[in-house]
Amino acid sequence: MSIKAGWKVKPHAAIIGAGRTAFGEQWYKDPEKLMMDAGVSAVESVDLGLGRRDIQACYFGSFLYQTTNKLGLVSGHMARELGINIPMNTTEAACASGGSAFYNACIAIKSGMYDVVLVGGFEKMTDRSSKIIDDLMFAADPYEFDSGFTFPGLYASMMARYIHDYSFGDQRCIEALAQIACKNHHHAVNNEYAQYRRDITVQDVLKSTLIADPIRLLHCSPVSDGAAAVILTKPELAKKYTDTPIYVIASQQATDDISLYTRESMTGIKATRLAVGKALREAGISIEDIEIAEVHDCFTIEEAMFLEDSGYYENGKAWEGIYESYESFKGSKHIPYIKNGKELIVNSGGGLKADGHPVGATGIRQIHECFTQLRGKAGKNQIDKDLNLALCHNIGGTGGIATVHILARDIHE
Amino acid sequence: MSEPITRRKILVNYRIQASRCADCGRTYFPPKSLCNNEGRRSRMNFVDYFYDKGILVSGSAIRKPTNKFLHVGSFMSAIVSFDDGEIRIPGRITDYILPEEELDVTQFIGKGVIPRFRRLYTDGPQGLIYYSSLNFSFEDDYYPYQKYVKAKSSNRSELPGIIGYGIYLPKFRIKSEDESALGVKERTVPFVDEDATTFAVEAGKRALIHAGIDSRYVKKCFVGSESAPYAVKPSMSTVCQVLQLGEEYDGGFFSGGIDSQFACKAATDLFIDAAALVAYPTFGGEYVMVIGSDNSQAERNDPLDFTVGAGAAAFIFGKRGVIATLDYYVPYTSDTSDFYRREGQKYPRHGGRFTGEPAYFKHVVTAMKTALKLSGLTPKDFRFVVCHSPNAKFPYLAALEAGFQKDQIEPGLVVRYVGNLYSGSSPAALAAVLDIADPGDRILMTSYGSGAGSESYIFTVKKEIEDKRERSIPIRQQIENSHKKYVDYNTYRKWKEIGA
Repeated sequence: MSIKAGWKVKPHAAIIGAGRTAFGEQWYKDPEKLMMDAGVSAVESVDLGLGRRDIQACYFGSFLYQTTNKLGLVSGHMARELGINIPMNTTEAACASGGSAFYNACIAIKSGMYDVVLVGGFEKMTDRSSKIIDDLMFAADPYEFDSGFTFPGLYASMMARYIHDYSFGDQRCIEALAQIACKNHHHAVNNEYAQYRRDITVQDVLKSTLIADPIRLLHCSPVSDGAAAVILTKPELAKKYTDTPIYVIASQQATDDISLYTRESMTGIKATRLAVGKALREAGISIEDIEIAEVHDCFTIEEAMFLEDSGYYENGKAWEGIYESYESFKGSKHIPYIKNGKELIVNSGGGLKADGHPVGATGIRQIHECFTQLRGKAGKNQIDKDLNLALCHNIGGTGGIATVHILARDIHE
Repeated sequence: MSEPITRRKILVNYRIQASRCADCGRTYFPPKSLCNNEGRRSRMNFVDYFYDKGILVSGSAIRKPTNKFLHVGSFMSAIVSFDDGEIRIPGRITDYILPEEELDVTQFIGKGVIPRFRRLYTDGPQGLIYYSSLNFSFEDDYYPYQKYVKAKSSNRSELPGIIGYGIYLPKFRIKSEDESALGVKERTVPFVDEDATTFAVEAGKRALIHAGIDSRYVKKCFVGSESAPYAVKPSMSTVCQVLQLGEEYDGGFFSGGIDSQFACKAATDLFIDAAALVAYPTFGGEYVMVIGSDNSQAERNDPLDFTVGAGAAAFIFGKRGVIATLDYYVPYTSDTSDFYRREGQKYPRHGGRFTGEPAYFKHVVTAMKTALKLSGLTPKDFRFVVCHSPNAKFPYLAALEAGFQKDQIEPGLVVRYVGNLYSGSSPAALAAVLDIADPGDRILMTSYGSGAGSESYIFTVKKEIEDKRERSIPIRQQIENSHKKYVDYNTYRKWKEIGA
């Protein structure tokens, strides 16, 4: 099976294993222990076996380890935890730390330097919950901090502007931005790792505690602890480890100003637009070809903006698509977005909203989710259709960085 | 933060400084040296938006703030554009109390906002206090927008005197229902992000706008206060940096000055020094600014707690464009311990009834009567008389004793509506009568500072006052402003103590 008859793609790398911890409050685990658990799970998940010493390098992503956890030199911690002395690098790119670590790992594999690498993301956010709102603002501009902004506040400014510019007073826009949370909670019900495995209603969202008007508590992803890891190898070596590798057919990153206020738009993320555009071109496909997407829904407005930044819906029209898709859904499992009769399932495991958002782990958790879904191994949460193409979208800060990876199960060699 | 970071940020934050490419004109906030259009390091000119009006682009009601802003409670933060959208900057909306129910932020998009110099947060009681002008009040709220226009210099006056003034009274008020308020019906209350330094800056800004002078020619600035936020570190240097007093050189300014302290006459006693300086042949500057600013302190439930207000008055002295000449100065001082605060103590103590007869009245009335005697004038030669106003009763009785009539005293009794402004008290009363004075009017002003001393000044109003009137915000307008907001006692205490 090919991703599109006649198209040829040379993948960057192949994913042969993935592991993760449950997300949520992990009070009894140190951050490096979480990472170790996920890493070992990833190694153990490789179907045809992988020895710890087969791993030639590690790429880790984490954001607040120095600030919140008072840890430095992740490499040294992980060398001790894993009992290996190989090259290890840590990427800090705020909420895109995981996606950026994965991006770097893809480059490493593609360069030919290594045959097998482990990529991990972790975050331990609940240890100092009294200062986590302040700590997260390290991913924002200092002038934004001094203006009293919080992360919900910055995204709320985007949401307010989006509503102002595009809703034309239509209440359905407000409801659509709540429906995103409902959909993602629904997707997490059968996800054994998810932080919140319960359904919520639009009314629950619209009556939840005000955090940063117009953002309410249930528009927000939670504060979480957790880790995720995947094993990457060269595409040509993949079948040595598993019969069903998943190929990375596009790996892109783009950046933009750290400050929301200096960006071109407040109702879209330029870094997403650039990274998605480059990734689709690299894979030789269009956004309509994607069947499942892991989208960075740190706040529901971000998922709506992705649907526009990626070109899936027209600018200013995503809320209409979201509303119509949600309202017309008659099934019981995954709620797809529908465009021209074609379906796109977004955040099949609950996304950041319900699966949880241990910041540095998220980008890897997204890869884990797509890897599992594309291989048909998601258990009770498996999407009821044959899937081949997935996209992972990971954002840092309010859009200062975005990584986009496109994964495919079957490719032409 | 740290001292070096603070210094770097001050240069940007105090004036909302941006850099503009000399080649293509593109503007950057925060300032940077590489122009995106030119694709290289470019020659940049600094511009600032301190006196400009912005437009709210979007924002949010922050209900779960960072720890640094917990003291503010819930508030609105926003992104604001300047220069017809050329740049956008973030800022906190100040002087605005969030409703408890959801705020429709979209209603504010497109609204005009004005920069305000306010306190952000502190590094605890022993650390630095951080200030910024990235705070905005709504244009259609309490403070009107005022343009800063540097007018052409006017004729020189024989005698130096006042060339402009600015009074800053916070938007918030508390009503006095207590008998012990002695005629004070309501009082000004600082917002949660205000203190004596922010008042001083706002008053100084208004004085510059009123005088219409170039701040580069203000070579000295005195800030009198008994509630300065730092025990050691002048408010004056903050005022100088924000208002850019004196010629700029390498981030500093060729001007001087000090903070002064003499209870409530910390500022007024320097009026004569200001006038003397501008007349001094080798002073080398045109103007001197004197500011009296206080977040007037009183212990909870102390009698003073029912009369204290908050605000500042700034007066600029010079010889060009004089609106009132300073004709006489009569000081009178004795070591009288009526009111005092030891170093490290939060609130002042006072001698109860002793603060009246042997302290206030003795000094005020002696200075007034001596001023009349030395000038050869009688009360009938004056249109207005103003005195330090700890309440509405004391200045009234003192002026009556010196031979003045009700119609000469009443216009200056703004204490009824603003409370005791301490160092800003008699200057605010002076401003209230200058607001309505005609050329030729004489004013007798007498200040009082515990500890104790008074000084009387005689001013004669000049015709230039009429040319500048449209550039001032009269006290009466601030008192009667329909946007002023009343708060309860606990809010008043909380806000006052944060800015103490």
